[in-house]
Amino acid sequence: MSILELKDVCYAYDSRAKVLDGLNYKFEKGKVYAIVGRSGAGKTTLLSLLSGLTSPTSGVILFDGKDVKTIDRYKYRSRHVGVVFQQFNLLPHLNAVENVELSMRASGKKIPDKRKIATELLEKVDLDDQLSKRRILKLSGGEQQRVAIARALSYDPDIILADEPTGNLDLNTQEEVIDIFNRLAHEENKCVILVSHSSEVAASVDEVYELASLRKSKRRKEAITGGQFI
Amino acid sequence: MLVLINAMKSIVRSKGRNILIGIIVLAIAASSCVALAIRNAANEAETAGVDSINITGTISVDREKLMASAQNAADSTEGGRPDMDSMREMMSQYQDLSLLELQAYSESDYVKNFYYSASVSLNTTEGLEAYGSESSSDSFDDSTGGGFPGEAGNPGGQGGPGGPGRMTMGDFTVTGYSAEDAMSKFISGTSQITDGEMFDTASSDMNCLVSKELAAFNGLSVGDKITLANPNAEDETYEFTIIGIYADSSSSNTGDQMRFSTSMDPANLICTSYDALQSVTDNSASVATTQTDDFGNEQSTAVMGQLSSAFVFGSQDDYEAFDAELTTNGLSEYYTLSSSDVSNYESSLLPLKNLSNFATTMLLVVLVIGAVILIVINVFNIRERKYEVGVLTAIGVKKGKVAMQFVTELLCITLLFIIIGAGVGMAVSVPISNNLLSSQIEQMNTQAENENANFGRPGGDQNFQPGGGSGLQPGGRGDMGGMMSVFGGDPSNVTYLEKINATVNLPIMGQLIGIGIILTLISSLSAVIFVMRYEPLKILTNRT
Repeated sequence: MSILELKDVCYAYDSRAKVLDGLNYKFEKGKVYAIVGRSGAGKTTLLSLLSGLTSPTSGVILFDGKDVKTIDRYKYRSRHVGVVFQQFNLLPHLNAVENVELSMRASGKKIPDKRKIATELLEKVDLDDQLSKRRILKLSGGEQQRVAIARALSYDPDIILADEPTGNLDLNTQEEVIDIFNRLAHEENKCVILVSHSSEVAASVDEVYELASLRKSKRRKEAITGGQFI
Repeated sequence: MLVLINAMKSIVRSKGRNILIGIIVLAIAASSCVALAIRNAANEAETAGVDSINITGTISVDREKLMASAQNAADSTEGGRPDMDSMREMMSQYQDLSLLELQAYSESDYVKNFYYSASVSLNTTEGLEAYGSESSSDSFDDSTGGGFPGEAGNPGGQGGPGGPGRMTMGDFTVTGYSAEDAMSKFISGTSQITDGEMFDTASSDMNCLVSKELAAFNGLSVGDKITLANPNAEDETYEFTIIGIYADSSSSNTGDQMRFSTSMDPANLICTSYDALQSVTDNSASVATTQTDDFGNEQSTAVMGQLSSAFVFGSQDDYEAFDAELTTNGLSEYYTLSSSDVSNYESSLLPLKNLSNFATTMLLVVLVIGAVILIVINVFNIRERKYEVGVLTAIGVKKGKVAMQFVTELLCITLLFIIIGAGVGMAVSVPISNNLLSSQIEQMNTQAENENANFGRPGGDQNFQPGGGSGLQPGGRGDMGGMMSVFGGDPSNVTYLEKINATVNLPIMGQLIGIGIILTLISSLSAVIFVMRYEPLKILTNRT
């Protein structure tokens, strides 16, 4: 059974033309998905819809069979979905560990020894103790991205959404991060959805959805929907 | 927990912003603290003062009511012309109460103490001269026939038994006191025994106190005897033994006042016990002769005493209850119970009340300006922290919790700086309030002096004197009425409270914290509205 399902989902900003139109995707636990497409195809918008930050103009998104619109979306975001934002969205006045701890606290889950878990997660993404105690603005883009990944994993969500999660990482770290996502899906039965331009990422996932841009041409019907990319 | 931890981290990490808010709160707290302390001290001084003063009241004829009643009777009869006969009749019907009647009323449970005094005017004899007299022949006939001229408008004046009789003003005023409580000038310190001792007020021995001036003028000393005569019958004399000599500070600054006779001079006041004086008036009445004057009026040569009395009450409630009781006990509506103590005390608080009003206005201004500044700072603060709101709500923190975090931050800063502000306020409230109070008194004194100068009176140094240090002294013991006020201090003297104990106590701290909470809630309301309006996706997208 799919944990997340899109049924005929359309989205348009204000009264302008649709960004997304008639999407029908299914996401299951234990798999890694990649959503690919050109710039402006609506990848980030789709991620926002999946993370419950916004609602579709029409159609429904089902989480565990329930319409996301009707459930407590704060609880959905804080407990069931871990998001790695493209711009990381970390709090600058906190250090790396504190940012990770904050998410654990926001989830409302009873997580003992948050500091230890946060430190371990940061070590997993190759941030040592010294770096994990630095304020966010004193970390490089790649380091910030790793903090964002650690934060998304910290409260053990069912679904992990990542927007260009390897965009700022070197090749070695990219591979490590992809490995982490694959392990989470295959060993810990998580549903991992990655939004990426990277063909390496697309090549290493279980399924790929390609979004065709609706802004430049009417190629929606030609777009591959729900098919195997490679 | 999330809210509290986030709030604490934010406070610690954003020092500059929070110190700015803190300084504003500190200024508000310190000035509010001073204002509240002044208000509180003024209220406490008023309450404690009214509670602690002994209220003295006197029963006297309500002449205004008598006149009004006579006038009403005239209106209904002959074309509105006052009926002088009925007026005279009413006047003679409602005379001042006798000592026996007053003593009967004093039995009331509401009366804490009752004392009285009587004064007579006696003349010099051979070898004794009144202080300040050019000759002994300055006495004059009092054609009003009813006691000494009392202080106009003083409600305490209790005229003596008037009626038919001829009263000649002598050179001395001899006052007999029923108790030491009645000797208000000695209690207030205006008069002080410098030699000898006090007479026994319960004794009818002919012992007396004379003023230092009179003693020096006649070369008298303790143990000497003086002989005084009935001004209406020179051969009717009374001998007193000087048991003490007193100094009277008011006699030195009353020289400019116009007097009807030398007996009005405080230096010519001779004090004795009421019983001793009673024996004089009793004897005089027994040997008096009656003559008919040129107008056919019968006149007695007896020395007439004028009675002054005072009921002392433990509280204002007792005073009011006694007033009500007098009516139920059948005292005519033409008699009234009056006291100047409460109004005197309230007058003494006038500068303090002005200061309290000023403090209240200052408090309101500070609070309004403070609230506006805090709201503006908060609005800017929240706009600056929009991204934080976006991130927190994006990771699933509810908007309510985010708003609560901001309110908690502000509340913590406010409380911290209110405590510091209270400390500052505590340190400065006493000197500031006393400084402001003394300026207020000085201003009132200057105003009074100017008024006196305009009316051609001597300088105002005797009019308004600042009170002593305790800060909660009542305005002074009530004078016994018109008679006493002639010899005693000026009853218009108001002793202003010079110092107040404007300390910061627990209730003030409670009020300050209340102010802090209200300011926080008002100023963070804007923050809450902003937070509630923000959508995380919009914030994060705009930032991108």
